[in-house]
Amino acid sequence: MNAALGHSGVLLSLAASVMGVVVIAYGLARSRPALARTGRIYAALVLLGAIVATVAMERALITHDFSLAFVAANNSRSTPLLYTITGMWSALAGSILLWGLILAGYIAAMVWRFRRQGADPLVAWATLVTLVVAAFFFGLMAGPADPFRTVAGAVPANGLGPNVLLQDNALVAFHPPILYLGFVGFTIPFAFAIASLITGRIGEGWQLATRRWTLFAWAFLTVGIVLGAWWSYQVLGWGGFWAWDPVENASFLPWLCATAYLHSVLVQERRGLLRVWNLSLVIATFSLTILGTFLTRSGVIASVHAFSDSDIGPLLLGFFGVVMATGVGLIAWRGDRLRSPGGIDSVLSREGAFLVNNLLFVAFAFVVLLGTVFPLLYEAFRGQQVTVGAPYFNAMTLPIGLALLLLMSIGPALPWRKTTTSTLRDRLAVPAWVGAIVIVACVAGGVRGLGPLVAFGLGGFAAAANVRQLVLSARGAHRSGAGVWRGLVGRANGGMVVHLGVVVIAVALAAATSFGHRSEVTLRPGQVASSDGHRITFEGLTQIRTPARTATEAIVLVDGRGPLLPALSQFGANTEEVGTPAIDSSLEDDVYLTVDALPVKANGPVTIGVTVQPLVVWLWGGGLLLVLGSALAAVPGKRRRPTDPVSAPVPAVETGDGSSGSGDATGASRPVLRRARPVVESGESGESGDDKPAQEPVPAGSP
Amino acid sequence: MLVVVVVVALGVGASGGGPPLTVAQRVDAIDALVRCPSCDGISVADSSASTAVAIRHVVTTRVRQGQSASQIDTFLVSRYGPSILLRPPVQGWTVWVWVLPPVALVVALAGLVTVLWRRRRHRAPAPVSAEDRALVADALAGRARAVAGPTAAVPAP
Amino acid sequence: MVASDDAGPGVTTRRRHTARWVAGVALVVGAALVALLATSPPQTVTEVDTPLVGQSAPAISGPTLAGGSFALGSLRGRWTVVNFFASWCAPCQQEQPDLVAFAYAHRSPGDAALVGVVFDDASSTARSFMRSTGATWPAVVDAGGQIALDYGVRGPPETFIVSPEGTVVAHFDGPMTNASLDYWLNRAQGGRG
Repeated sequence: MNAALGHSGVLLSLAASVMGVVVIAYGLARSRPALARTGRIYAALVLLGAIVATVAMERALITHDFSLAFVAANNSRSTPLLYTITGMWSALAGSILLWGLILAGYIAAMVWRFRRQGADPLVAWATLVTLVVAAFFFGLMAGPADPFRTVAGAVPANGLGPNVLLQDNALVAFHPPILYLGFVGFTIPFAFAIASLITGRIGEGWQLATRRWTLFAWAFLTVGIVLGAWWSYQVLGWGGFWAWDPVENASFLPWLCATAYLHSVLVQERRGLLRVWNLSLVIATFSLTILGTFLTRSGVIASVHAFSDSDIGPLLLGFFGVVMATGVGLIAWRGDRLRSPGGIDSVLSREGAFLVNNLLFVAFAFVVLLGTVFPLLYEAFRGQQVTVGAPYFNAMTLPIGLALLLLMSIGPALPWRKTTTSTLRDRLAVPAWVGAIVIVACVAGGVRGLGPLVAFGLGGFAAAANVRQLVLSARGAHRSGAGVWRGLVGRANGGMVVHLGVVVIAVALAAATSFGHRSEVTLRPGQVASSDGHRITFEGLTQIRTPARTATEAIVLVDGRGPLLPALSQFGANTEEVGTPAIDSSLEDDVYLTVDALPVKANGPVTIGVTVQPLVVWLWGGGLLLVLGSALAAVPGKRRRPTDPVSAPVPAVETGDGSSGSGDATGASRPVLRRARPVVESGESGESGDDKPAQEPVPAGSP
Repeated sequence: MLVVVVVVALGVGASGGGPPLTVAQRVDAIDALVRCPSCDGISVADSSASTAVAIRHVVTTRVRQGQSASQIDTFLVSRYGPSILLRPPVQGWTVWVWVLPPVALVVALAGLVTVLWRRRRHRAPAPVSAEDRALVADALAGRARAVAGPTAAVPAP
Repeated sequence: MVASDDAGPGVTTRRRHTARWVAGVALVVGAALVALLATSPPQTVTEVDTPLVGQSAPAISGPTLAGGSFALGSLRGRWTVVNFFASWCAPCQQEQPDLVAFAYAHRSPGDAALVGVVFDDASSTARSFMRSTGATWPAVVDAGGQIALDYGVRGPPETFIVSPEGTVVAHFDGPMTNASLDYWLNRAQGGRG
């Protein structure tokens, strides 16, 4: 019953997406907009099919219907309800179903959002592209990755239960769906990018219209990655949160491209530049999500995430190839003809800063991709195995990370078009001193090490610079009567908060990785040991036996606080024993406890692993700031009118030496700018509700 | 002034060499660069797997005997192969993984600079007609509706 | 600002093909990446090219599960198959019947010998695993994982073929079958003329 229901749902979605593609293509080829508009109906059908299939799968899981092979392999009667529900995405076929469901949701939302422009060929092309992607994923589910495959032979009385590592923490309910909301979300901007290239209409605002979709997907991907790090920290027992694991890298690569895109699209919006580059970034982001899906599911690179034993690897790789070839081919065909006129006036400008930003992010992505793929390359050419591990990635990405921190400080203070170093110096004097004071304070406090000190100093600099922007923006909003809160919402201000989150995370990373220390203490019951400034008291061992979990727990007190219960646990029956850590967190540092060795004889000593890492909690706090900033950025600011001036007006300059923020590129005589009221430098002109003083006309040359 | 303060502070901070490393610290430093053979990508220092414990034990023994980090690494490589080290060696063909990113960065930077330079030189300023000036004055004076053009067809974001 | 892509009358622009060149490079790199990933097989049973091959086999000595003691040197003069295993490892469970068949087929004295080494497992569970599968060959207890370290074992099951002179001639990672063991053994024996 569940199998039949599920199969019908999958087939409905597959048929609807294929039919949708055919009908829209026909409508476009014959210029019959009415046909093209029917894409809406097919999108709705795809969503319906996906919902039916999901309901069928969850029903099968909750009722422990072991006639489905997937349920038999990933669920058991003793699995708690939460992990039964999340079991849908704890293995390969179900995770594709989740992908399909979220994709169907996004397509339906897109079609709804642009329903008034449904007849526009560009929207029709975008819908077509999304339906092609949907057809691929539902096609996978109809064949090689069938989640509703029935068991061959007799129906087992009980199932195997989910992977033991997936039963330890409730985060399994959040991390995959949120991550997928991020990954899958990039399909929509990708579809519009392809549609723009095909129709040749990239001078219009479609990319900007979908920017909010990209921000939405980016926010979820960011949260998904942070949650993954948190989960890894809580569950895996090694005390770390980012291992540069190939699958972690695979999720990080699209994030890097999407972040680069979110910045460079601002240049497109303001100056109309970098249009083709932005399209390339969007296409690259989506391609990398497919590549990531392939790496996770093909077993090509061994990883703690790997869903092994699947046949869909070659299909995913083929799809990646098709996506890449289509995107790159379209850019090669159209790219040069569609390039924007105009250019960058000066590197010392916000455009220049965004260009450097993109360069750094692309370099970052290159390093991560190279490091991930190099072992395969080396083995293919030399036949030997080599490991490219965390030390490589840390060493290579540290300079890029520091450069990005520096850029985060300078960028928001740079005006558009061009500026002088004196302007920059005025604006950044205070933040720079903050950074210097941070370094001095750290050195005085006993912190040693060039890398971390530079990171802390740059962190202080960047934090102060971004806070400065927020303060200016809030002040400007307040003065113009719109309310202080207005100065804190909107794209630019949300962006400043996101930057603050990144700074906090960067500082936390620098502290935790440079000053973390792992040691072991061997204690009998009642004994106390001292480790890295903390008192570890071992009280005794207890045995836990619940239907879901059998464990030997060590009762430990840290500095008298507790009890903390690191353990060796077994989830379900006949499964591997895994170490489950316990963590004592404070704002200063985390004490991470694992049971390394149980006593050989009764009442013998137990060996407890103690890892002390400073500022780990700041990582998760920074993650919260990222979420907050993304939410703030989504609030619509006062829309900037096309005729609003490009940057804040500056005092009248009679000599025309071009040292004003809104100088132009021609050598023509410059008019004198008169101020109608005092200049307030706002965070982003026009965004915070500041009224602009009237200006004399400037020669055409600035948009 | 600021620069002086920062440089001095960093100089003090970076030079804190501290007392010579203890055996435990040396062992930790070596362990952090050795891969745990039965885990996925984490170091021997971070893992409590049996293979990691065994390697840590051997490393500790050898450090106590006075062997250097490279001697210990060589021993481990003689058992597990070069993939036991987390950091690819900077010699032989693996040097490419270290060299390619900086080279690529320099090439990209040079390419960017070249493209910008050329575009700046080849881009002639657009001539401004009286009509254009009147248009702009119109728009600024009354914040009139934006001129007809591609930017007007944008659907509301 | 005029909307067309041309810069306006009186201005010449050379049509640049930057996008085409970059796209071409990207396409080539992408195709290479796809080709590389397509031809990298997922990890299954592989003959591992580790540094031990060709070297003399590290010593294996210690107590066995049955209670006696064992030293690898006692098998000098015979071909030996050293098998690292654990009771909790699924591929080990998978290959165990094949190993039993292999041991039985080579049971005559002087024929190839089979030795097991316990990898990260409690002696009691390892012992019951051996008993319940009908395994009769000696299984050495590896205290502290030192034997596994000496052999460069990452995780069970891993199997080594050692020549009568005590040289490691082959190293396999993954579950073996009776047929593959015989094949490799014959190959190693034949290759020595």
